[in-house]
Amino acid sequence: MASKFGLAGGIPERRVRPIWDAIDSRQFKNALKITTTLLSKHHNSPYALALKALILERMGKPDEALSVCLNAKELLYKNESLLMDDLTLSTLQIVFQRLDHLELATSCYEHACGKFPNNLELMMGLFNCYVREYSFVKQQQTAIKMYKLVGEERFLLWAVCSIQLQVLCGNGGEKLLLLAEGLLKKHVASHGLHEPEALIVYFSILEQQTKYGDALDILGGKLGSLLIVEVDKLRIQGKLLARAGDYAAAANVYQKILELCGDDWEAFLHYLGCLFEDDSSWSCETINASINSPKFVECKLAHLTDEVFNSCVENASAFVQKLQAETSNDSLRNPYLAHLEIERRKCLFRKNNDDGVIEVLLQYYSRFGHLACFTSDIEAFLQVLSQEKKIEFLDKLMKNSSSLSAVPTKALGQSITLLKTQELIGNMFRLSVAELEGSAVQMAELYCKNIPLSKDLDPQESMHGEELLSIACNVLVQLFWRTRDLGYFIEAIMVLEFGLAIKRYAWQHKILLLHLYSYFGALSLAYERYKSLDVKNILMETVSHHILPQMLASPLWADLSNLLKDYLKFMDDHFRESADLTFLAYRHRNYSKVIEFVQFKERLQHSNQYLVVRVEAPILQLKQNADNIEEEESILESLKCGIDFVELSNEIGSKSLIFNEDFQSRPWWTPTTEINYLLGPFEGISYYPKENLTKERETSVRGLVERKSLLPRMIYLSIQSASVLFKDSSDTNGSLADHKTSLELKSLLERYAKLLGFSLNDAIDVVMGVSRGLKTYEVFGSDVIDWLNFAVFFNAWSLNSNEFGQHEGKRTPVSWQLVNSLLENYVLSKLRSMGPLIQSPQGDLPKLVQAVTEPLAWHGVVIQSCVRSCVPSGKKKKKSGSTGQSISLLSHAVRDAIQSLCSILEEIVRWSQDQIKSPEDNKIDILVSSLKTNGQNGGPGHVFHILETLASSPNETELGNWISQALRAWSPVDVGRKIITGQSRVLSEFCRICESKIKALKSLKQQIAQV
Amino acid sequence: MTTIRRFCCNDLLRFTSVNLDHLTETFNMSFYLTYLARWPDYFQVAEGPGKRIMGYIMGKVEGQGESWHGHVTAVTVAPEYRRQQLAKKLMNLLEEISDKIDKAYFVDLFVRASNTPAIKMYEKLGYIIYRRVLRYYSGEEDGLDMRKALSRDVEKKSVIPLKRPVTPDELEYD
Repeated sequence: MASKFGLAGGIPERRVRPIWDAIDSRQFKNALKITTTLLSKHHNSPYALALKALILERMGKPDEALSVCLNAKELLYKNESLLMDDLTLSTLQIVFQRLDHLELATSCYEHACGKFPNNLELMMGLFNCYVREYSFVKQQQTAIKMYKLVGEERFLLWAVCSIQLQVLCGNGGEKLLLLAEGLLKKHVASHGLHEPEALIVYFSILEQQTKYGDALDILGGKLGSLLIVEVDKLRIQGKLLARAGDYAAAANVYQKILELCGDDWEAFLHYLGCLFEDDSSWSCETINASINSPKFVECKLAHLTDEVFNSCVENASAFVQKLQAETSNDSLRNPYLAHLEIERRKCLFRKNNDDGVIEVLLQYYSRFGHLACFTSDIEAFLQVLSQEKKIEFLDKLMKNSSSLSAVPTKALGQSITLLKTQELIGNMFRLSVAELEGSAVQMAELYCKNIPLSKDLDPQESMHGEELLSIACNVLVQLFWRTRDLGYFIEAIMVLEFGLAIKRYAWQHKILLLHLYSYFGALSLAYERYKSLDVKNILMETVSHHILPQMLASPLWADLSNLLKDYLKFMDDHFRESADLTFLAYRHRNYSKVIEFVQFKERLQHSNQYLVVRVEAPILQLKQNADNIEEEESILESLKCGIDFVELSNEIGSKSLIFNEDFQSRPWWTPTTEINYLLGPFEGISYYPKENLTKERETSVRGLVERKSLLPRMIYLSIQSASVLFKDSSDTNGSLADHKTSLELKSLLERYAKLLGFSLNDAIDVVMGVSRGLKTYEVFGSDVIDWLNFAVFFNAWSLNSNEFGQHEGKRTPVSWQLVNSLLENYVLSKLRSMGPLIQSPQGDLPKLVQAVTEPLAWHGVVIQSCVRSCVPSGKKKKKSGSTGQSISLLSHAVRDAIQSLCSILEEIVRWSQDQIKSPEDNKIDILVSSLKTNGQNGGPGHVFHILETLASSPNETELGNWISQALRAWSPVDVGRKIITGQSRVLSEFCRICESKIKALKSLKQQIAQV
Repeated sequence: MTTIRRFCCNDLLRFTSVNLDHLTETFNMSFYLTYLARWPDYFQVAEGPGKRIMGYIMGKVEGQGESWHGHVTAVTVAPEYRRQQLAKKLMNLLEEISDKIDKAYFVDLFVRASNTPAIKMYEKLGYIIYRRVLRYYSGEEDGLDMRKALSRDVEKKSVIPLKRPVTPDELEYD
């Protein structure tokens, strides 16, 4: 911190040091005390003030901090004699940044740089400010000034990166690249280049302009020696040659790479690309492509003649054979997979070489079949085969299975591979129930037989054969889907819980379980499993899709709130600190990372999940406070009455959305957040190959955000609208505002209707039709909650509109009745059709929760608003004449609505209480007895029985100490109890919400009775 | 079958199956980005067919004089790619960069004293337990500081084990 002369910001360093020490040890009070003493001596020192501001900010006093900072800034500007050192400025900068006033920090530095134009340190500070603001043009200008001042390579590169950022992330035209190139060229001519990273940036500037030849010249020249690692250099050379269209030379380069690193798969693909003169492996990925969708190697072969193709294949095969012969390492998969890739291309080119692919696949199995990665290795190759051919391959593979390795772990690996390959091919959908049962039993037996292999492993290591339990679970869930026999479902849970009892770290089991528990209505247990995955930081972006959608439709508000808060905090923290890290990359001269960091931040900013959470977080708050209109209003106020969200809804159509979720770990029955096969009947679909569903997801997310982000504003306007009827009509300003409210709410209703696919009038007809029983709820499709919302807001609008709801000159409660009957019929019919949770998983509970916590809750808010304005507060006179009449009409309607909501909620409470109160032991009996085999061959329970037998008398010498201990502790009844507790917790939370609503409604009833 | 290349930001979105492993820590963003910004050559990823992430290594180079050394902060391999010597490959790469490019004297790493499988693996790769660091992990578990000398340390002075354990505040670097 100290400057050269022992002064810090003009104050002796020894006087400042204790302040920093106190800040570092978080003793802010003490720090403030020392600073105050310091300020009494140096009362005009901007540095001392900056320190004070820093401390105040840390103490959580942002307003005071800002005012002290502004004071310091003023002094800096005013006093000509004061010194403008970077220490003062950077301290101020820290505070301004933390107070979200980057622009103030920038203006301080701008002022300082204007005053001392040749001070490099200040200019670097200013550059840093522009980095924080993502002002690429100003970054460029500042960097150029620094470069002109001292001629250092790094400042030139800062300017070049800033130019590149304008082109890649800003709105700079590609012409700017020419400028960057010119700058570099000139510098290289006079000074050369000294950093490998500078050279990389130089190449990328040339590549972006398709000047591959120029780049190759530079690589071949003196500068090329900056790249020390030979392979790195060759990779660049190969790519440049290929992009320049010199495929023959490029192929030679890739051969060299493969001779140096025989296992480099990417190099091999590039090599093939060069032979076949096909540039698809270099084509750039589009940024909004889902990052985790399986990427299969694309290739273009149509332009080749038979002759050329054949000779290419010959060359490639010869080369691969040579590689294979030269490598002493038998475990290198590359040369073998290379054969497969060649066969795959033959298959694609001739369209009839399936047998070749199958042959090489079988060979690959005989060599690498024991590896856990076998199936993921071959996934892309299987894709070229027709379903029949895949089955043929599988049949041949199964025949091979008689000759398993003599090494037990290898033999186990091979057996697992066979099962995984069946799964991959979608065989599960083809087999009969009996065959599926048989295969699940086999898996369990195989698992039990091989447990002793893991006896000497550390409990933290993955166990041999633990995947078998996941595969068995997949089969059991398939059986449940086919037969709807709950026993299979419980069995699937037990199998995984058994696996976790032995090895509690298996995250694959936990993910499957959390989906099973979600489906079983034991969401709190699912959430516990999710938490045990320790999902944090960037994993929240890629993994939370497993739990988030279920939580959004659940009554577990506290957990949901944490989930949303943690996620938003992570994202927002990153957006806040990302620029500082970018500057770090500048400082350490890792220029390629500069570009990468900025692009990555943009990627996260466009995350679809981020958008959804930003909308859902305030909606959760609105749900949580819906029983108290004052609190609801203060939430709305903090949301600027929902205006920003309406804007978001308007803009969403033109925003690009990015999907960062990793769906590969999702179970087969719910491959995306939108799909759950178990909710529908078995259709024998083959889920392989997993379709790329990004397009559909994009449409669905857009629709969701578009609709949901209208809610806060519509709630706000509904409150206004419902209170308007009772205002004094002599207040012209007021009535003008009311008119505006009505118009705006109408236009939002029109939008909402349009998003549901209807015009406003048609949508009104639809809800009317359903409420009168002329149409069924099926017309709402899966958007039932949105339709109910629509009805609620429509009613609110009708209260303040002349267009609708008038009958014989009086306002009639048509729209009230509409909402009452829509909600009542919906909820009551759901309750009637739902069996006890323990016997019928999932069902309509989430929809029921949504109906209560959304449309019903918003309706409650409208009622509160009506009651508030109906009930005369002390000073108000009693309304007379027509106003009095409409009040009386309305108060009747409100009373009826309250009554209706209460009875709905009471029904739900009764239903939930019945389930919560039913004896736990009975429920456990239901679960456990579903697993009894009753001596029959078929049906659920056989897999469970095998595991139970193992657990009942573990052989310690065979299984080792820790496994036997774990087996002894295994208790299926405990698992059953946990499920029941989990279900009860969800129901209790739901009850709590309903009861609180009932209480609020009852108090409204008393108030309205006074009218 | 393995392409080893520099780790890039987008890999953070693709390393899920590696990082869900309970022994693999998922650090905060500034931690990863600091490593990428400062030591990009020490953060390498192994990629398999279908661009699947098989594993990665992150590290740094730091120190003064004869303690100028490479440091392995994390090395991890996805479950389906284990038992294929991938960790060894990644370690060798980091050692080579420390040795050839940065001319460091040794490479070191910290490991939980209870993590026997990892300790055994590092020993196989030529690492020696240099010293024990008391309560290194969250003030609870001891850590072992393991080292391997590089060619510049001709007399292998850097790996002569210390006789007594040290406390975390005695460590020269974080």
